[in-house]
Amino acid sequence: MTDCGCDKAKAELEEYLHRELSDEDFRDVTEHLENCEDCTGEHLVGLTMTLKMQKACQEKAPDELRSAILNSL
Amino acid sequence: MRPELDSWAMDDHEQVEVELDAIDSEDIRRGATRSSLPPAELRRLFEEQAIPFMDQLYAAAMRMTRNPADAGDLVQETYAKAYSAFAQFQQGTNLKAWLYRILTNTFINGYRKNQRNPYQNTIDDLEDWQLGSAESLTQGRSTRSAEAEAIDHLPDSDVKEALQSIPEDFRLAVYLADVEGFAYQEIADIMKTPVGTVMSRLHRGRRLLRGLLADYARERGFSAASTASPRSTT
Repeated sequence: MTDCGCDKAKAELEEYLHRELSDEDFRDVTEHLENCEDCTGEHLVGLTMTLKMQKACQEKAPDELRSAILNSL
Repeated sequence: MRPELDSWAMDDHEQVEVELDAIDSEDIRRGATRSSLPPAELRRLFEEQAIPFMDQLYAAAMRMTRNPADAGDLVQETYAKAYSAFAQFQQGTNLKAWLYRILTNTFINGYRKNQRNPYQNTIDDLEDWQLGSAESLTQGRSTRSAEAEAIDHLPDSDVKEALQSIPEDFRLAVYLADVEGFAYQEIADIMKTPVGTVMSRLHRGRRLLRGLLADYARERGFSAASTASPRSTT
């Protein structure tokens, strides 16, 4: 088992977060994160941002809008 | 993965109409449209399949237009266009991505023109230093886990405000990736840019966002050094 190192992991953390890496790269970065506190912390910041955005951006369409759209069909 | 359509790379004033034509011709190539369905059946399918996305589309429209009145208009216009083209929508393909393409195009071609945004055409060309940097955030006493914790303590209003403060193309890319979970290729199709541009916008957008969130956290007293005793109760 060879660790992919911080440089590769840091460069790919965003794609890691967004599930855009190949299976092989995904495994490499996961493996590195298990052993590197620094990169894990960096990943945690990115992940927290994503989760906060998902939570903050919830909206409910106003009832008037819903009826206006349904009535226009 | 659906084939890339040449017309999606066009920069046209009538982008949405062009796009709907493109969807039309794509479906004809695939050999199946549902245009022969009776109108009542089409309407039933639309209500069953497209209407449930209304809250999500409205949420996206809110982040795009930044106000409820424009967001409502944008969503209404999106549904009108989607409904008129729905007979050509190929069942089994990604309806959510299709609706977001219409929403995004309608926004870019209509609403955005009315908003003053002098950076629109040049933002991708700016150097990183001109956009500010998040590099210094984790220096000194701050640790990254404290930074994550500080971000986690922020109220939703701060997160929305930060998202709405970053340049629009960055905001759209970040929203589509992080909130909606679209794949980079889907975002490229929705925004009509190469995947490399999507990645650059995402990277820069998230970096700006991180800097803003750190600023808000500091203002609220949840800086990394004081996360143990934040001023606010939540």
